[in-house]
Amino acid sequence: MPTMLHRMRVSIPVLSAVLAVAGILSGSANGQSDAEFFSHEIRPIMERTCWNCHGEAVQSSGLDLSSRDAALAGGNRGPAIIPGDAEASRLFRQLAGLEGPQMPLGVPLSDDEIEKFRSWINDGAVWDAGPATTVAGSDFSAFATDIPASARQYWAFQLPEKAAIPQVANFDHPIDAFLEQRRLEEGISVAPQADKLTLLRRAYLDIIGLPPTVEETEEFLNDNSPNAWENVIDKLLASPHYGERWGRHWLDVARYADSDGYEQDVDRANAWRYRDYVVDAFNSDKPYDQFITEQLAGDELDETTHESRIATGFLRAGPRVNFREKDNPERRWDYLDDVIATVGRGMLGMTIQCARCHDHKFDPILQKDYYSFTASIFGYVETDWPMLPDDQALEYLSTTAELDDRVSSIREQIRDIEQPYLTELKIERIRNEFPPDILEAVLVPEEERTDGQKLLAAQVLTLGVPRDQVDTAMSQEARAQREALRRLIEEVEGQRPEEPPMIEVVTDGDFRYTPDRAGDNVLGCPECRIQMDVPGSFLHDGEGAYEVPPAPFLIRGDPFSEGPEMTPDFLTVAKYGNPPTVLPRDNGRTSGRRLALANWITSEENPLTARVWVNRVWHHHFGRGIVASLDNFGVVGERPTNQELLDWLAVEFMEQGWSTKELHRLIMTSEAYKMASAYENEQNSLVDLENHLLWKYRPQRLEAEAIRDVIMATSGGIDLSVGGQPIFPYIPQEILDTAILFGRWDNQVDGPEVWRRSLYVYRRRTLSFPFFETFDLPDQNQTINARNTSTVAPQALTLMNNPFVIGQAGLFADRVAENTPYDIDLQVEMVYRTALTRPPTAEEAEVGRQLVELGSLNDLTHVVFNLSEFLYRR
Amino acid sequence: MTDKPKKKIWSRRDFLMQSGGGIAGLALASLLNDDKAFAQNAALGGEQCSATFPGAFEPKPPHFAPRAKHVISLFMSGGPSQIDTFDYKPALTKYAGVPLEDLIGEKFAVRQGMPGPLMPSPFEFKQHGESGMWVSELFPHLAKQVDDIAFIKSLYGRSNDHIQSTYEMQTGQIRVGFPSVGCWVTYGLGSESSSLPAFVVMTDYRGGPLGGPADWGSGFMPATYQGTLFRSSGDPIVDLEAPEGLSDAQQQARLEVLARLNQMDMEKYPGNSELAARISSYELAYRMQGCAPEAIDIRSESEATKKLYGIDEAITEPFGKQCLMARRLVERGVRFVQLFMGGVGVQNTDTWDAHSNLVENHTLHAKESDKPIAGLIQDLKARGLLEDTLIVWHGEFGRMPISQRGIGRDHNPGTQTALMIGAGIEGGQQIGASDEWGYKALEQPISAHDMHATILHLLGLDHEKLTYRYSGRDYRLSDISGKPIPQIIA
Repeated sequence: MPTMLHRMRVSIPVLSAVLAVAGILSGSANGQSDAEFFSHEIRPIMERTCWNCHGEAVQSSGLDLSSRDAALAGGNRGPAIIPGDAEASRLFRQLAGLEGPQMPLGVPLSDDEIEKFRSWINDGAVWDAGPATTVAGSDFSAFATDIPASARQYWAFQLPEKAAIPQVANFDHPIDAFLEQRRLEEGISVAPQADKLTLLRRAYLDIIGLPPTVEETEEFLNDNSPNAWENVIDKLLASPHYGERWGRHWLDVARYADSDGYEQDVDRANAWRYRDYVVDAFNSDKPYDQFITEQLAGDELDETTHESRIATGFLRAGPRVNFREKDNPERRWDYLDDVIATVGRGMLGMTIQCARCHDHKFDPILQKDYYSFTASIFGYVETDWPMLPDDQALEYLSTTAELDDRVSSIREQIRDIEQPYLTELKIERIRNEFPPDILEAVLVPEEERTDGQKLLAAQVLTLGVPRDQVDTAMSQEARAQREALRRLIEEVEGQRPEEPPMIEVVTDGDFRYTPDRAGDNVLGCPECRIQMDVPGSFLHDGEGAYEVPPAPFLIRGDPFSEGPEMTPDFLTVAKYGNPPTVLPRDNGRTSGRRLALANWITSEENPLTARVWVNRVWHHHFGRGIVASLDNFGVVGERPTNQELLDWLAVEFMEQGWSTKELHRLIMTSEAYKMASAYENEQNSLVDLENHLLWKYRPQRLEAEAIRDVIMATSGGIDLSVGGQPIFPYIPQEILDTAILFGRWDNQVDGPEVWRRSLYVYRRRTLSFPFFETFDLPDQNQTINARNTSTVAPQALTLMNNPFVIGQAGLFADRVAENTPYDIDLQVEMVYRTALTRPPTAEEAEVGRQLVELGSLNDLTHVVFNLSEFLYRR
Repeated sequence: MTDKPKKKIWSRRDFLMQSGGGIAGLALASLLNDDKAFAQNAALGGEQCSATFPGAFEPKPPHFAPRAKHVISLFMSGGPSQIDTFDYKPALTKYAGVPLEDLIGEKFAVRQGMPGPLMPSPFEFKQHGESGMWVSELFPHLAKQVDDIAFIKSLYGRSNDHIQSTYEMQTGQIRVGFPSVGCWVTYGLGSESSSLPAFVVMTDYRGGPLGGPADWGSGFMPATYQGTLFRSSGDPIVDLEAPEGLSDAQQQARLEVLARLNQMDMEKYPGNSELAARISSYELAYRMQGCAPEAIDIRSESEATKKLYGIDEAITEPFGKQCLMARRLVERGVRFVQLFMGGVGVQNTDTWDAHSNLVENHTLHAKESDKPIAGLIQDLKARGLLEDTLIVWHGEFGRMPISQRGIGRDHNPGTQTALMIGAGIEGGQQIGASDEWGYKALEQPISAHDMHATILHLLGLDHEKLTYRYSGRDYRLSDISGKPIPQIIA
């Protein structure tokens, strides 16, 4: 609501005032006073690159460069400037790269600019009298269209290239060669290969998220061919459960959920079709570039399919208020921001959303880039689409729209007939239920009402009246008229075609004409509503080509301060050549802007996309990305631990047709993937405690969903059917009571019907499934960087006491007892082989036997579900 | 804990001797061997439950000397009306029946239906205490405490939707996905208690607040920091106790074997601290089983104390119990207790959301909460706990000074009254002011960011230094504009 919106106002310093007071000191050789030199030469650089982090608002490292006094006082590392001696001044040294870290972070100044600082400091480092403004805080950024050429020098903006594979002893595999080269430099030696059983379990949990069965384990142990390992990899990649496992990783990126969130938390009844699309895409090894393109522009392809349309569900997978959007137009900007943040962080590893209100504080991303990006997606609208051939779909939509119109006009007539009776009955109700002044306001003739009475009357006359009262009050004749109209409605409804399966899609349109949805009609202040005085339609279906509504720049990100209209464009710093920003569509129904965006993102000339995806895949295999900040390759993100390797993989990935399965094969056939995790080496730890150089395999706790899946797979209770409607495993009523009023949870009793993989558990934004939440389910409202792993007491409580876990332990015990009755030693062995993919050690066998003898097999199976080993991929 | 073994199991001591005992094994052994004493101790509210153990939530030092160590936040879900409780507006009588639009000279929208004219409060106001603070007849007990209370009369928000404003008051942002205040505090200070969660949440007996678990969620921070929901009857935490059919002896046997096997496993990974943490998480879980029920078990409280909180009367019993539990939790080292008064059942009656029944609704909810809150203040004071405990009282927004069909009031994020008590805050003072009609904050408008900055400051945290890096940005609870309220931190 515009009138209620609190808007922050930032005072805008006026540059001319600054210039007017220049000239306090003079004596510079080039005719400018020292202060003028500062104003003209130094200040613009400081505005652009220094004061965001070392100004009045923020003092990184305790350093404030906003005034001469502050700079002389310096920060945590001592004075920044020694007037007259640039070479001894820390500011100059760090700008010039004489000591690290070189400033500004990631985007060094040009030589010319560095020289300006040298002469300015040598001349006494004189300031002018102006305040330390930042570019971000001024209006200039609205029109800033360029970034310094040096910005592109930053590694992530350079196109990746394949370096020659290093020649090292002992390793042939390119991945190992790159890793070993670095390890040799650091004097690090590697762990031995893990044993076969550990490897097998690792691969299964990694690729399909399920442990190998006892039979599968036997099969692998008996495969003595040199290709045994490759055979396992091929088998796993061909499994339909691969897509379930890796699709789940992507759903984290896509901030996927089955409901809208916020107060209404509306059910997205068909969102699961997008989830299944993702699973299928991984299973069919859909090339990653195509996968991205479909999700961004599946409705704009030369040949669209249901599948490609469903893919656009990606764009609308984030949280939506979905209530009175038309009265809150600023929400549209939040949704655009949600898409930009998701595409930026998820696909490009760039925090573009940080440039919504000002130029990015750290990365060379202009506010202009943000709004060019907005312009690329500005036409998008969310709609439901019938799963019918295109012509039939359009026909279905127009038929139903026409029927809706006819029905609503008949309802209008019914209302006219009922109106006189309604008013009478309302007055009766007001007389009975409301204070006398309200009745008075209604009874006073309209023209005599005071202003206040007018408001009151208008308020109460919208009251409803029970239907039976209306029926009783109506005349015979009126009832008959109404009856005829009702029959007419029935007749019209009879012509309504059966609803086909619907999909939740995104396409181009004009959001300002979005049809009313639930909750759009409740606003009582018609004047407050945005009035559309231009004719238009929600989806473009008329003559001529579709036109995108004007996409404005927002000054300081304020939806009510529109700047110039923007044309689509891509991140300036990462844009090579001159890729088209619009690809007009033959059918004219969409703008082709999102398709152009997708083409740029998936271009081999995009320095980020392949790197970011290869890095995510690496992260899931090894527990840490080559760049640890999966969603941020910018200057405040982490640096790659081995950039040559990352770049080699990125290029190789593109050369292999963006095939994710080939990438898995490449990674899993490396020695790095096969190393033991149980390995200590003091020397290694001294140099590389965190194992960045991969001298052993990093054990990783399973994700929340995988823990539940592995429990059910181990117990044997799991239902491994793939795809379809979501499930609602039991949640205790007291927890359901904490959730908001609206929102869906069709609580199902615990049993085989809900023992499906966790991927299929309904994701409700306002209510996390408790088991998942305990095991670090991340917030599903924003694209996810990497899962957190905590080790807290509630996890112990859940695994010890949760009825589901105990039930599964019982099921597991029953299954083992059934297969190996009477023989406790065999039972213990079976428990270990099934749950941990290995036989017990002698000691474990003894402890297990005692526990079963003195207690029960149930005790042992429950203990095993609680073992650290059970919860980890090692 | 009662021991009812179904079958004879071997002696724990034998078993642990056999195992040769690792550190964790021994720790568990001492816990188990000592469990009788432990149980007694726990029943008495003994030191076992309030002792400080280093752990996953190791306490972290504040940035400067804190004024408060604990916070009890009383969230009035649904939005209490400032003009009918603490923000006395005699002008409303004068302007009764006049359209607000005529007075403020601009159009505005309301959440439901159409705006009505200005409507005076149906409740009588009087001045109270030495400070002469105005309080309506709805709060006779709090009225006696006004000299301990700072009244913030200009807390404003940015949305008139329940959920978005609840998120704003709880996280600073009207968008979903940000960490709540309690979560920030836990992140900043860690836990004082290793046997109880640092951040405990209790919801209204009728249901959770509008906004659901995101109101105490951790947003982009690790889920570890989110509030732990305590139920006010039965086992406070879900899955705290084994379900029926699993005896304590069985559970202990399982725990012992588990500890031993995990210990053996850990020896294969000597450098891996996560495995040690996992073992100790079971020890903590075991302590929680004793301490969490004890912490909210009010049976040992005196009759006088229960009476003070109104537990002897049906209408005040539910919230009275929760307020008393809040005191017990704070005593045992819980850092942040979040109570929600008003919960989703039938929204118009079960929360403060008085669209269609102002008199009935506010009379009910004030009656339910007035005595318990006044009791809490007195009790904390008497025990010397009020000095380092901060009580905060507010809703998601205030209500409109205009009428909704003559019987209710619609939402109003323009201003509400918040109360702050304890932590050395000067009582009997008024901070900020709303306009003549109580429609918008006029003098010293206080944002949620300001309120949050104030809370952090009282806890010894510099709100500008308490940052969390996410997605390339250092986030602050107080965002970029919050400032502590000078009169509160003075």
